Amino acid sequence: MDLDALMRCVGTTSCIVTQLTSGMIIGMLLFLIASGVTLIFGVLNVINFAHGSLYMIGAYAAWTFYQLTGSYFVSALGAAVAVGVLGVLFERFLMSKVYGSNVLMQLLVCYAVVLISDDLIKIIWGPVSLSMGMPVEFRLPPLRFFGGVVPPFYIFMIVAAMAIGLLLWLVIARTRFGNIVRAAAVNGPMVSALGIRVNLYYAAVFGIGSALAGAAGALAAPVRSLTPGMGFSILIESFIVTVIGGMGSIVGAFVASIIIGLTRSFGSIGFPLFVDGVMFLIMALVLIFKPSGLFGRPHNK
Amino acid sequence: MLKLEGLKKSFGGVAATRDVTLDFADGSLTAIIGPNGAGKTTLFNLITGRFPIDSGRIMLAGEDISRLSRREIVRRGIGRAFQVASLFPTLTVREALAAAAQAHQRRETAMLVGFPTGAAMKHADEVMELLGLTRVAGILSRNLSHGDQKLLDIGLALALEPKVLLLDEPTAGMGPEERWRMIETVQRLWRARGMTLIFIEHDMDIVFKVAQTVRVLSYGSVLAEGTPEEVRRNPQVIEAYLGKSAHGSAEGAAA
Amino acid sequence: MTGRWRDLAWAGAGLLVLLLVPLFGAPPAIRDFIMFGMAYGLLAMSLNLLIGYSGLVSFGHAMFFASGAYAFGLAMQSGKFSIPAAFALAIVFTAVLALIVGAICVRLNEIYFAFLTLAFQMLFYNVILGWVSFTGGDQGLMGGIPRPKFLGIDLADRTQLYIFCSVAFIVCIAILRQLVTSPFGYTLRLIRDNQERAAFLGVNVPLVKLTCFVISACVAAVGGILLTLFVSGAYPNFGFWTTSGEAIFMILLGGSNVFLGPLVGTVILRLLNDITVTYTSHTELVLGIVILILVLGLRKGPLDLIAERLENRRQAAAQAVRDAADAGANGTGKGGS
Repeated sequence: MDLDALMRCVGTTSCIVTQLTSGMIIGMLLFLIASGVTLIFGVLNVINFAHGSLYMIGAYAAWTFYQLTGSYFVSALGAAVAVGVLGVLFERFLMSKVYGSNVLMQLLVCYAVVLISDDLIKIIWGPVSLSMGMPVEFRLPPLRFFGGVVPPFYIFMIVAAMAIGLLLWLVIARTRFGNIVRAAAVNGPMVSALGIRVNLYYAAVFGIGSALAGAAGALAAPVRSLTPGMGFSILIESFIVTVIGGMGSIVGAFVASIIIGLTRSFGSIGFPLFVDGVMFLIMALVLIFKPSGLFGRPHNK
Repeated sequence: MLKLEGLKKSFGGVAATRDVTLDFADGSLTAIIGPNGAGKTTLFNLITGRFPIDSGRIMLAGEDISRLSRREIVRRGIGRAFQVASLFPTLTVREALAAAAQAHQRRETAMLVGFPTGAAMKHADEVMELLGLTRVAGILSRNLSHGDQKLLDIGLALALEPKVLLLDEPTAGMGPEERWRMIETVQRLWRARGMTLIFIEHDMDIVFKVAQTVRVLSYGSVLAEGTPEEVRRNPQVIEAYLGKSAHGSAEGAAA
Repeated sequence: MTGRWRDLAWAGAGLLVLLLVPLFGAPPAIRDFIMFGMAYGLLAMSLNLLIGYSGLVSFGHAMFFASGAYAFGLAMQSGKFSIPAAFALAIVFTAVLALIVGAICVRLNEIYFAFLTLAFQMLFYNVILGWVSFTGGDQGLMGGIPRPKFLGIDLADRTQLYIFCSVAFIVCIAILRQLVTSPFGYTLRLIRDNQERAAFLGVNVPLVKLTCFVISACVAAVGGILLTLFVSGAYPNFGFWTTSGEAIFMILLGGSNVFLGPLVGTVILRLLNDITVTYTSHTELVLGIVILILVLGLRKGPLDLIAERLENRRQAAAQAVRDAADAGANGTGKGGS
């Protein structure tokens, strides 16, 4: 516990800027993952416990594409698309078989996929951690705001994640596709009775959610080390985010991600041992006082 | 026995019951009728605490039970069977009834004895006897015929020895002959247990032949009440069932 | 109660078999296999009290396995406790932990329940990893667990340790058996089958769930204690999510509707593990594929399938009785349609 250090940090603008940007980076990665979890849950009513693996695969795919092409933008896009396609296959061949079953069966399928993908990563990329390094496009002098140093890539990450989030929100809220998806979330059989092939939309939603995780992995690749199993802790945090923000709410995921991101970055100065505890405390408080989450619909099933 | 005073409930601005005031005498047999969406099942849900009421009071034997939890209401003696039989699929008829009896005897969390205790077993056997379920005692609830499922649903409520028993369409989904058999069983258990029994029913022949009193609900309000004869001759009731239902539109606009 | 005596007889027979193994000079490998099996078996059996009997899908059960192991190990290393006292302390500590986690989780729907238990487990795991000065971090509790004599029992002796663990194991299984055949066990099944209806029978659903959660956690803690005694240490992976995943998989492998199913699953999983490692280092890949085949192919555990067959046969017999009664009553009964 070192609250003095936190006080000293809050006293200088440079430290605030640094912690703010690192908090935003954590938050935006979380947001991309949590919005996929929450989107898939909102529409399909399943929790994808394997979502962290998709993030991991996205990071490794981006690493390989970058080795091959040398262009970060191409790699990131490629990783997102590849993971999206993988997500569709996952949904069609595995998850869709257990939609009607209980949570236990869904959990087991995801557990199996996590085991398989962790091992496949080890087989393909090896068990030791990899690092991508700063992509050539971003090997620029750092920017300075109020005395704080901010690498340009951080700015790109934050802006890109926000842009993706905004795009997702527009697609869900404003397009015909979004209308159908939202209708299917409330009553799938009804939408199906209207002659719309709901299964196609389910697969598409799963694919979009997966692509978001893939994009998060690609954005994380330059700043995180790549290890088999790297998806797990971010999965847990994205669950915490969805609980705080409200299951099914993209706006909620955004706000909660920033809360958790800033808790992490400032907490790591002031109370490094208790960062997890504080995150759980926030979640427990939300569950006690507003069980449906800050922006969620009531879920009294 | 059971008194409802000015019950109001709305769901998202839509009134489900508005100002329902009813009095059910001790040991009476009452039918509740009304068109679909009149608020009959909602009324049962309010009485049994499934939904909180917006305003009004529910009195059971002089005690206000309107703010009690679902569980406390059951403990006070209000039993209920559902429109679609609500059962425990993997328990046999005997097991389910014994479990219900055990819950009633507040022994449902006992860990040091075996299931079922002698007293619960005896109770379950009595209920099976009364409802004619003895011949299916060993069958899993999910394998029962529709009629037996409805009977078991009533049996689960009976095992709690209720003072007031609410039956939501006991004859739903049955053929004419089966209906009469069911309603005979209902009459039999009402006489045997001497409790206050309230049932929702759509079949008017059954209602007018069996019920002592009839209460008619329409658009969430009490439209008429009285003996079957009185209700049958009530012009408002005839209109609600036959006419184009002019009634309620004025209130609907006000709400 | 004949059922009670029969269960006791089974427990006695089980204990006898376990105790005869060392007498007949079984190789140490077999004894080790059984010791691991008992520890993980208690984990799976206690988890099935939640998953199989109550319909509470917990993905965080290893937390209590680890809390038993660490609380016991730390108490012994402090040198202030005898083995029985540390044993009791570890169980009480786990019960309090389960009470807190359970109080937050049992009122939630099943999806929330599954991932909140998972999340709390992660918190517990991170505390173990992060609090290096107390728990040894990722190295685990090093330096061995002291095993002072008590009541003339010396657990430093392998044979005495084996006997002690066997007795503790059989006692736990007997307690679980008593629990599921008691009114409480049937109340759990009421809740699993139809929670709403159970509440309308006057059952205090959240309280019953919480009680079940705490009891189940305590049995898992005993499993953790046995493992700590056996390996003379406690490691963070006792409480890692993969341990919970394995426990769920053991239940699937054995069957959740048969009382001893999870135990059978534990044996199958350990055999499966032992066989795979002799051929490949990629055990996770093999396990994952086996899970997918079981879940998507059979859709339930092998023992469950057998139990279902037997149940169907019993049901057919019961229905024959009903049909005979209906025919005999000649229309006064109700026709089965």
